[in-house]
Amino acid sequence: MALEFISPEGLRLDGRRPAEIRQLRANLGVIDKADGSATFEMGNTKVIAAVYGPHEVQNRSQQLLDQALVKCEYSMANFSTGDRRRKQKGDRRSVEISLVIRQSMEAAIMTHLLPRTQIDIFVHVLQADGGTRSACINAASLALADAGIPMRDIVASCASGYLNNTPLLDLNYLEDSGGGPDVTIALLPKLDKITLLQMDAKLPLEMFEKVFELGNKGCVAIANYMRNVLLENTKDLAFARGVVKV
Amino acid sequence: MEVETAQEDLKPAPGQLASSPFINKIVAPGDIVLDLAQLSIPTLRLGGGLRQDQDLVIATKAGRLKYIKPNKIWVEGSQKRYIPSLEDVVIGFVVDRRSESFTVDIGGPVHGSLSIFLFEGATRRNIPNLQAGSVLYMRVVKAHRDMTPELSCVDATGKASGFGHLKNGYVFQCSTGLARALLSRPTCPVLEALGKSLSFEIAVGLNGRVWVNAASVSTIILVSNAIMNAEFLSAAQQQLMVQKLLQRVQES
Amino acid sequence: MTSSLQNFVVAALKEDQRIDGRRPFDSRRLNMKFLREDGSAEVQLGQTLVMCCVSCQLVQPFPDRPNEGSLSVFTEFSPMADSSFEPGRQGENAVELGRVIDRGLRESRAVDTESLCVLAGKAVWSLRIDISILDNGGNLIDAASIAALAALLSFRRPECSAGGEEGQEVIIHPPEIREPLPLILHHLPVAVTFAFFGDGDLVVVDPSYKEELVMKGRLTVTMNVHGDICSVQKGGGVGVSSGEIMRCLRIAATKVADVTSSLKKAAEAHETERAFRKVKRINVAATTEGRRVDISETVKAEFKLRSAILDKSIKSELNDDEDSSSEDSSDDDDDSESKEDNVMAPIRAVKEEDPQSVLPTDAVFQGGVSQWPTGTKPYTISGTMKTNPTGNSVIKVSSSCQEEKPTAILDTAKKNKKRKKKNKKKVNRPISSM
Repeated sequence: MALEFISPEGLRLDGRRPAEIRQLRANLGVIDKADGSATFEMGNTKVIAAVYGPHEVQNRSQQLLDQALVKCEYSMANFSTGDRRRKQKGDRRSVEISLVIRQSMEAAIMTHLLPRTQIDIFVHVLQADGGTRSACINAASLALADAGIPMRDIVASCASGYLNNTPLLDLNYLEDSGGGPDVTIALLPKLDKITLLQMDAKLPLEMFEKVFELGNKGCVAIANYMRNVLLENTKDLAFARGVVKV
Repeated sequence: MEVETAQEDLKPAPGQLASSPFINKIVAPGDIVLDLAQLSIPTLRLGGGLRQDQDLVIATKAGRLKYIKPNKIWVEGSQKRYIPSLEDVVIGFVVDRRSESFTVDIGGPVHGSLSIFLFEGATRRNIPNLQAGSVLYMRVVKAHRDMTPELSCVDATGKASGFGHLKNGYVFQCSTGLARALLSRPTCPVLEALGKSLSFEIAVGLNGRVWVNAASVSTIILVSNAIMNAEFLSAAQQQLMVQKLLQRVQES
Repeated sequence: MTSSLQNFVVAALKEDQRIDGRRPFDSRRLNMKFLREDGSAEVQLGQTLVMCCVSCQLVQPFPDRPNEGSLSVFTEFSPMADSSFEPGRQGENAVELGRVIDRGLRESRAVDTESLCVLAGKAVWSLRIDISILDNGGNLIDAASIAALAALLSFRRPECSAGGEEGQEVIIHPPEIREPLPLILHHLPVAVTFAFFGDGDLVVVDPSYKEELVMKGRLTVTMNVHGDICSVQKGGGVGVSSGEIMRCLRIAATKVADVTSSLKKAAEAHETERAFRKVKRINVAATTEGRRVDISETVKAEFKLRSAILDKSIKSELNDDEDSSSEDSSDDDDDSESKEDNVMAPIRAVKEEDPQSVLPTDAVFQGGVSQWPTGTKPYTISGTMKTNPTGNSVIKVSSSCQEEKPTAILDTAKKNKKRKKKNKKKVNRPISSM
């Protein structure tokens, strides 16, 4: 790749340092109809998530007698990437990402408290600029918290990579397509446990360790931000109801 | 090893049952086993694996033809899927709880139902507390092909006598033939060989499920693997296999 | 069912034992078989059986990569392997498997795609890897990845050259004229799967079917023997500490080394056998014209030989653990011999490719002479037993078979004799189909 991902001064294409994440922005309660919803922005990547549940299982045969059934659907809007996409749902990549998000959320949701019910998570990518998977997991996490579904911990996710011999944090689309590895991590911060770990492209084991650690730190930072957003939101709600007096 | 000639498969057997050349031999579906016209016994009870076509008794399953005096005859085969039949002892898992019965999975074509009263000392007030996934040792009290099989956790007199909830332990699958061998007398060689050196509890269901419990986990694993391996081995081979397994465990 | 099983599996793991007798980091026995056609392989990992076929086609390249070929992975999860697979529609597990294998091969550049280019911008080879699951005994990803690599190693693409006007046409040379070429593989990315139980603190390698039913999380690492990680997939599931993950990666490195050496050995053996087969094809055809074989005698001899071998195996079992395996078979370390895979246990017979009997050439057929290649692999008993190309242990007889087989075999033999006299077309069914 002739493109220089890190300038000699140590700045990336968008002016960030290697271990800097993009600007984060999150909003809760954006969809009125849903039991819980959230948007999450990481730089130019914008994602919206909605949670419906816990409600009665639609398909009786899929009902689980001792825990809640969690379903997840990931889709990208036609206008989310540069060229208009034709098939945004049901293709293999979407199926895999839906599976992966669902299993990450299942690790956090206390499903045994809600047997014989179903929880639906819908995640929709509005604008894709790298790191869509992470943004989706973060958004889903906030939406679940907004819906009041009991969780062990929030799930925070971040992507990291390795280009020009430097580990980079939170890749954007250009860096992602740079041919280097792409490591996505989802962390349960208070428990310090990794629930999702995906990597593609080749990387020696020692390098992987460095990239992995960097990704971990990124997740912790994002988790802090998410927690603050949740606290703010809860305070506003409580204030609006007159529970908390300023 | 004995070798049968092929021609006999095609001729109907002579009338005397006890001396019929097919008793204890392997039959295949379609084999004509008996010619009732030549039979000297007045009534004959056909068990599983046989059907009657006017005067002929024809096998429908592949297996060994068995006969018990005076007049019971049936084909014993080994398969993985269990078809419930009366008075069999089976091991099942509780799947669901209805108002008056439990739905139990016995590995057959349909789930069986177990009335909540068919436990020792069960009354309306005292309903056994079984969760989904509990292991039960039961017997089949009703098995008709058009109805859901019914099960019971008490014997005919109302006592538990071994039936009921099996706690802890490990359940694994084997074929129905092996399960029958494990329950037969004299004791199956693999169980005998295991029993000489290990102490464990075992419950065998004719539906091809075996429950094992022992003080230590390694004993349970050893017993379960030994029984699963014994599927196709002869008596001598079973003993050797158990010996080998025990040796290997002692070494490690 | 799963709750009681789960309790037991976790209790056993806390004492470092698995329900099939393995230790937590033991893999099951691995058996690789290369099938007759180039580019097809069958892998058996414990009870899991996976088959893979590689085929190629000349296509137009992608516009942004005019001088690179392409690779695509397709999976088939037939309900034959597991009743929970749905026919037709691909479940999410099937998609995940396909994508993990795809990522391991494509992103890590294991296959050299530039060598697949024939005419830049116009014609490149597109490889299609088809993975079929035949029996789900747990850990499909590992078995499928090994099968895909085995198939890629044995695949041969036709040689082609530019020709025609101005060298713009591609001439594909048939295999008889020009020897087909192997693919260029830079490295072999092998997948190793770990399963997590309990709170994420209990780990095992190569989960079996029952362990997969109760596992809480799964981690698949695709690595090559040089220590490069080609892909990692931990798709959610119970949380695991990062220290534990790094430990798993290190363990995977050792497993990958074992599997890669087995793969290479098996591929080499297959190569020599392939070359040998070609030589034989020309010589033998001349000599087997008009040769007659008496089926029943052959069969009786087989039977005696099998029982003799079984007796010997019983004696040898007492003395020695090791199987004397032959060329194509590939076993893991001693560590991986599990109680379940005890020699006494019936080892699944992988289907023989070749016709297993020789038709006497004096039979009269309606509809023409049989198309079976008569000379290549005559099913003489001593020949099969010695060379044992399937790689399966010779000792695979079950005791019930001992009693039943002779009847069946001789029945067929006698019936065939009768039918031969009646001049009807006869087909000898393969005898050993256990």
